[in-house]
Amino acid sequence: MTARVIVVTSGKGGVGKTTATANLAAALANMGKRVVAVDGDVGLRNLDVIMGLENRIVYTLIDALEGTCRLNQTFIRDKRIENLFMIPTAQSRTKDAVTAEQMIEVCGELRKEFDYVLIDSPAGIEAGFRNSAAGADEALVVTTPEVSAVRDADRIIGLLESMDKSPIRLIVNRIRPHMVKKGDMLGVSDVLDILAIDLIGMVPDDEAVVTSSNKGEPLVLSQSTPAGIAFRNIASRIEGKDVPFMNLDATDSGGLFGIIRRAILGH
Amino acid sequence: MIKLKGMYDSMLRCIISEDMDASDFSKEFDEVRGKGRRFLPGAKVVLDFGARPLSEGLIRDIMTDLIWPAGMYVAAWITYDAATQDLLKRIGLPTSEPAPSVRANERAAGGALFLQRSLRSGQRVEHSGDVIVAGHVNDGAEILAGGHVTVLGRLSGLVHAGYNGDETASVVVRSLEARQVRIGTKIGSLDRDERWWGKMVIVRVNEGSVFIDYWPMIKSDSRDESAG
Repeated sequence: MTARVIVVTSGKGGVGKTTATANLAAALANMGKRVVAVDGDVGLRNLDVIMGLENRIVYTLIDALEGTCRLNQTFIRDKRIENLFMIPTAQSRTKDAVTAEQMIEVCGELRKEFDYVLIDSPAGIEAGFRNSAAGADEALVVTTPEVSAVRDADRIIGLLESMDKSPIRLIVNRIRPHMVKKGDMLGVSDVLDILAIDLIGMVPDDEAVVTSSNKGEPLVLSQSTPAGIAFRNIASRIEGKDVPFMNLDATDSGGLFGIIRRAILGH
Repeated sequence: MIKLKGMYDSMLRCIISEDMDASDFSKEFDEVRGKGRRFLPGAKVVLDFGARPLSEGLIRDIMTDLIWPAGMYVAAWITYDAATQDLLKRIGLPTSEPAPSVRANERAAGGALFLQRSLRSGQRVEHSGDVIVAGHVNDGAEILAGGHVTVLGRLSGLVHAGYNGDETASVVVRSLEARQVRIGTKIGSLDRDERWWGKMVIVRVNEGSVFIDYWPMIKSDSRDESAG
């Protein structure tokens, strides 16, 4: 097995990197792939909570790097999907606990055992981001349609390009179509115009994301929510399938009509 | 310990070490005068005291024992001590680092830099000559050019043309979407709702202020409108 190693990053914090990592990992695993999600945010770990695996952590990635345990002892198998794993990181340490060389080595080992390695990068452009990106081949950049997030995404894309990551693809998260229509929010085309990279998915703003992350159940597994469908579509596109982009107007109309439309058309 | 170093514009920097004892001053002054017998008379010197506070008495000693006998001309008195800065200003002595003068041939010497890509946020290009960008300059990107700057795409980032003080430099942009453009020592600012926003323009300095005009230039009555 030779995994594709993908770093999920954004520059700005709070745009949905961890949610995207958890949901894409779950969706890819649901498609029968052997997937591991690695928490790259040493000291501020969250992936375990969003995946609902926080009470099962015994060893962390840092323990494996320090030789306290073997790497495969850090794997936490998901309770719902058999071929989904997570590697937690230490909450009590800082970003200095890992080096880029160590991450490259870890990714090299994980490559042999999985189809996909998704790395949840911390916000920022410092060591934490660099370590998370070091071992990756590809990158998914998450942004929201806000000027500040787009500028930070632009910065991160510049850094990823200089690190030779390819392809670098964009997820525009938390879109509110009614605000875009009124001209109160940047549209996806505005974002793409600035960032000039390939779009892999648009995720509508969805309250279900909050409930699902609090419950620790990835959206893609439990419900047919607009965001869940969007993440499933992104996973299919990562797999190379040609899935048409979601009509965000339909999801925004909400209510009965939207639900029927989705049920019939599937998007 | 007092050190002499060369600077731009054939100026000298005289660095008076912060930890030198005050009682050593007169001995050190003698040594500097002795060493600089040939080149100090008439030389432009920046006196750099680091963070050392200076008293009125010490300033007088420096003048009578070093500056006047050595025949040098002091371009600036540099110290980080706020009280000393105030004192020097009160006496009327120059306290700011002298700006390098522009040499006429410098721009030509730099040549033009042609960038066939967009500049992303955080990317910075510094070039002593002209800069041409065949792409966008995104928000957060910076261009510092000794000469003119031409952006064939959208300019959202920061451009400083003629950064060494050359106010004959200009900025030509296909779509101006930047809140600020710098030319020489001048800064022009622009609001999103101004009519130049998103337009193809040339930005120049005219009579000491930054002006924007349509490019290619259209004959109109609007030529004298200031950017702010």
